[in-house]
Parts: sequence; structure tokens; C-alpha cells
Amino acid sequence: MKKQKESLTLASTSTRRFANTMVSPTVIILLVMTAYPLVFTLIYSFTDYNLMKRNTSFIALKNYADLLGNAYFRQAIWNTVKFTVLTVALEMVCGFFLALFVNSLKKGQKAMRTLLLLPYLLPAVTVALSWRMMLSPNYGIVNQILTTLNLPVYNWFSDIQTAFGMLVLIDVWQNTPFVFLLLYAALQSVPQAQYEAAKIDGASRFKTMIYVTIPNLKNSLSLCALLRTIDGFRVFEKVNLLTGGGPANSTATITQYLYNFGIKNLKFGFGSAGAIVMTILVLILASAYIKRAIQ
Amino acid sequence: MKKLIALALACIMVLSLAACGGSKKEEQPADTSTPSAPTTEAPAEPTKLTLILRGGTYADVIKECLPAFEAEHNVTCEVLDLAEDDLHSKIALDAMNKEGAYDLCMVDGSWMAEFTANGVLANLSEMGYNFDDDIIPATTAISYYDGDIYLAPYYGNVTVLLYNKENVAAAGFDGSSIATLDDMMTICKAAKAAGKNGFIYRGDSQNNLVVDFLPILLSFGGWVIDENNKPTVDSDEFKAAMNFYMELIATGDAEKKDDLIASCDTGSGTMGIGWPGWYKPTADSTADYCAITGVAHDGDKAYNANVYGVWTIGIPANATHKDLSLELLEYLMDKDVQHGTIASGGVPCRYSSLQDPAVLAEYPQYDVVCKALEGGMYRPVIEEWTEFYTILGTELDNIVNGVKTVDAGLADAQSQLEMLMS
Repeated sequence: MKKQKESLTLASTSTRRFANTMVSPTVIILLVMTAYPLVFTLIYSFTDYNLMKRNTSFIALKNYADLLGNAYFRQAIWNTVKFTVLTVALEMVCGFFLALFVNSLKKGQKAMRTLLLLPYLLPAVTVALSWRMMLSPNYGIVNQILTTLNLPVYNWFSDIQTAFGMLVLIDVWQNTPFVFLLLYAALQSVPQAQYEAAKIDGASRFKTMIYVTIPNLKNSLSLCALLRTIDGFRVFEKVNLLTGGGPANSTATITQYLYNFGIKNLKFGFGSAGAIVMTILVLILASAYIKRAIQ
Repeated sequence: MKKLIALALACIMVLSLAACGGSKKEEQPADTSTPSAPTTEAPAEPTKLTLILRGGTYADVIKECLPAFEAEHNVTCEVLDLAEDDLHSKIALDAMNKEGAYDLCMVDGSWMAEFTANGVLANLSEMGYNFDDDIIPATTAISYYDGDIYLAPYYGNVTVLLYNKENVAAAGFDGSSIATLDDMMTICKAAKAAGKNGFIYRGDSQNNLVVDFLPILLSFGGWVIDENNKPTVDSDEFKAAMNFYMELIATGDAEKKDDLIASCDTGSGTMGIGWPGWYKPTADSTADYCAITGVAHDGDKAYNANVYGVWTIGIPANATHKDLSLELLEYLMDKDVQHGTIASGGVPCRYSSLQDPAVLAEYPQYDVVCKALEGGMYRPVIEEWTEFYTILGTELDNIVNGVKTVDAGLADAQSQLEMLMS
């Protein structure tokens, strides 16, 4: 009996070792690719590291103090939060209803799914340039249509009243298909029996959605929200190409601010501090989901 | 057994990593000292030169000159044409390497101080390069550091006033009769009254905001720093220029470069600050450009108000084929080679090109460009220029969008710039 137990323990240790050996290359690569740059970014954030200068000094928290004391950085944080909240909310709502709609189609589901996915397949730069052309005050199709209809035309990206809204609209247009796809896949796995039971109980469409569909999609919805939040916080290409953060900083996000005041000036120490602040903010926003995932 | 499998997997991974690493193929510059090879042997592998250039016409005119050089020197040239910001950061990033990836680079004059102070560029004088008399002398002002040449002025970009001929004519002017900033204002107000846009400016980046404003500032006798590099953006001249500019831009709109050109071309806009590289007017074109006279009001002093945006070429200090790079630079700066680029939109900083009667007969606007190049102003040659214009542009953006008053915006800019320059 004792011998059998010893043999079992040995086998289990051997299995664990084998598992560790198998996992170790992935862990090493992850450490090299993720932890190493993160640690270096953290170290740089306490220095005045400038790419062009030979000497780098330790300046403790000066970069953080400069960042947080800067009104434009605070405005950039506010713009980023506003952008993220608005885009995530709109993308979730639009994606959810699109998924419900396509799922309810008796015919043409595949074609619809493919068509709806197209904007998401385009690179952000292509999307930005396409919209820039469409909204051009000179040769843009949007203003031409508005002129034909005798409606007022706008200089969409240079007007302080419209620039931010346009960025939100473009992001929603591009990323709603991502939410749609995840929720559509999740909808396929909702047991039909629950819908039938709801129908027998005389539940309305709205109540079926609230008490059957949404509870079944809870995990997918929170995953979508998390991924879109992280992505929304990192928005850069669209802002950089379409507005450059203007007019009057009304569209300046954290990444655009860091590009203008850190990366473009080759002040990588300052830029690193900004990256760390941004990471912390994303972690705070994503903490609820991460906590749930760990539990 | 499991241990064996694990060991085998680990070995495979190490081998794969080693294989992925590959080996760096040494690129040997053409060595003229080696004895000539027997004629039956295959010709030597061509040397590869990498050029990092500003995208657009600036790179296109260089690209069209390369085949002849490649054939003559048994080299292949790879060209990276980039946007301005990318070009700046890529050259700076590569400068950190012992062996550089680029053999010839295009440099904006405003980066000169930063690049020379940090040893990014090779000393062309030490390599034996010198300017000839044909190059417009004022354009070479940016090329020197401690008396030595580091850059050669390649593309003669200088600010000009791009305008729509019909809109200007409707206000009773033509290109040659726009003598003062007040004339510009009159024309733009007339266009606005006719339901068109007057003055178009670029409001999409701090750099563009600053650059478009500089000719106006210079016409009022102002500048952004004094002789001791102290910021002077809160001066009376700056405020007067800013107030005038606010009135001027109220007649038009903020647009991106392509839209600005399209506006002036179609007549939906009337005028804006442009560069010769953007637009090639012909006798039939609807738009044209003229030099900015530097006179604010009738009877005022005429200041030098043409701001250089000359694209220069140089050799990175860590270039691996310096001798060949110098030959390429000399070839690209050659009088005849440069003259040949005019048909494709090239703007050489050379009298032989810009004052050639045959060229002027076809492209009369080169006379304007030549005059502007003879008396242009380079942006401040200070190491902090990128940061300087970012701060100033941010405050100008606030002012033009009504977020701050002229006084408040300029006072904020002054205090931030003083901190930067201290």
C-alpha cells in the first residue's frame, strides 16, 4: 500500500515537472516580451532619458509630477475617458442589437455576417483616411450630399463642436462589428429551450431579452466591454491622422498627448511615465473584470 | 520517456531560435584597392544604399535620378519615404546604433541644431565636400556647424502665398499687386462677402499652426526668439500679428494641406500659406503663388517674411558606406542633375535652374521662388525647436479656436517657453 502511494507521488511529481517543462518556454517568452519592456518602461519613467542625449539621470517622480500637474495632460485623460465610455457604450448597444437582428434572420445570415464584419477588417489607418476623404470640406461626399439637400455643411475635423463626435462615430462604425461577432457567437449557444419556456409563459420580446438573452450573454458582454475599454483607451491612429489632438486639444487623448510632448521630442523618460499612468488607468477600469476572472 | 521528449523539445526550440536569428550578411563597400578580378568572373554583387527621405515630391525627384547613379556605380538604392515626424524619429533612433541603417538622409533645416549637437550627421567638409557658387548662398546658412558643412540644401521649399486667381481678380488684384498684408485682408474679406472662404490655414498640428503664422509674424517685425534665444512670443509685435491673423482667419477656415490646395484650386477658398512643392502652376491653372512681401500696412517697413522649409540632404555619422554616400550626395547636388528634376516638380536651390530662361518660360513662378530663396528665414536653429513649436502651436491652437484670448494664450506660451529655454 505504502509502495503504491510512493509510486503515485513520484508519478505526480514527474507529471508536474513535465508540465512545468512544457510551460516554461511560453513563460520565458512572455517574460521577455512583456515583463522586460514593462520593467524598463517603469525604470525609464524615473529618469530624464532622452533618445538624443548621452547622459540620463535619475529624477525620481519629476516626470509624474510634471504630467499630473499639466492641464493639457489632465484634459487628455478626461478626453480619453469620455471617448472610451462613449464608444464602448455605443458599440455594446449597437453590437448587441445587430447580433440579435442577424440571429433572428431566417435567410442570409452568413452574407449579413460577412458584410457587417468588413469595417472591422480594415486597418485603422485606412479607416481614418477613408473618412477623411468622405468628410473633406472640398471633395467629401458627405458635404456634397448636405449641400444638395440644402443643409448646412461643416468642416468636421476642424470645428471644435464636431471633431470629437466624429472620432466617436468613426470608432463606433469600425468596432461595432467586433462586439457583434462575439455576441452573435455567444447567442448561438443560448439553449433554445429557455426561449420556448419563456414563450409558453407568455413573456414579451423585451422580457425575453432581459431575463433570457442578457443573462446568458453576461460573460460575453463583460469580455467585450473589457476588450473594447482597453482598445478605446489606446486609441491613437484615428486621432493622430484626423485631428492631431485639435482643435484646441478637444480631441487630444493620452496617447496623442504622449506622442506630441514625449515621443516626438524624443523624451522617452517623460513618455514612459505617461505610459505607466495610462496602464494604471486601464487596470483600474478593467479591475472589476480581472477580479472576476481571477476568482 | 517524458524527460527525453522534454529534452528533445528543448533542443528543437533552441535550434529554431538559433535558426531564426540568422546571420547578418556583411555588406562590403566597393573596394577600389583590390586587384581587378579576371574578366571571366561574374560582376561583383551590387552594394546596397539605403536612403531615408521625406515622402512626396521631395523624395520622388530623388528617386527618378537614382537609376543612372545605380548603373554607374554598381549599387542598388532602397528608398524609404516617410512623413516628417516619422523621418525625424527614425533618423534619431538609428543614430543610437553603432552601424547605421541609412546611408543618406533628408533633414529639415529646423532639426540641424539637435542633430549636430548630438553627433547624428557626418561632417561633409571633412569628407571633402564643398558648395559651388551656383547654390543660392542664403540657403546654405543652415548647413554649417562650427564652420563645417553638415548638410546640403536640396529642395528649395520656402513659404509662398498660394491664391486663387479668379477670387483675387474679383477683388481687383493680381499676384503682383498683393503688396501688403492689408491687401490680403481686403481680398479675403471680399471673397467672404461673396460667399467663399477667404484665408485658409492649416490647423491640424502644432507645427503647421506655427509655420503658417510665421510669415505674418515676420511681416510685423516679430520673431519667436531673440538673439540670446530668449522666447519673445509675448511681445507687442507678436500680439499685433496675432490680432491681425485672427481677423484674417475669420474670413476662412482651418483645413488640411490637401484641402487647402483644393480650396485654392477650385476657388472655394481664396488664399493660404503654401510651399512650391505642393503646387505646380501653369498658365491655365486656376491657382498660382506669389512671394509674401513682408509689409504689414501700406508705407510700413518691408521685412524678410519668407520662411525656409528647405529640405537638405546629409550623411548619417554612422553610415556604413560613407564614400559611396558622398558620391551619391555630390551626384544629387550636381547642377545638371538638379536641373533635370524641374520637370517633375523639383525646386533646386540653384541660380542655374531657377534663373534659366528656358525654365522661366515654362515655369514663370520659379522667379518668385528664387527671390524668396535669396532672402528667406530659417526657423530658429535651436536644439529645443520640436518642443518649442509644440508648446507654441498648442497655445496658438487655443487662441484661434477662442479657448484663450490672445493675451492669455501668448502669456502662457511665453512662460512655458521660458521654462523650456532656461
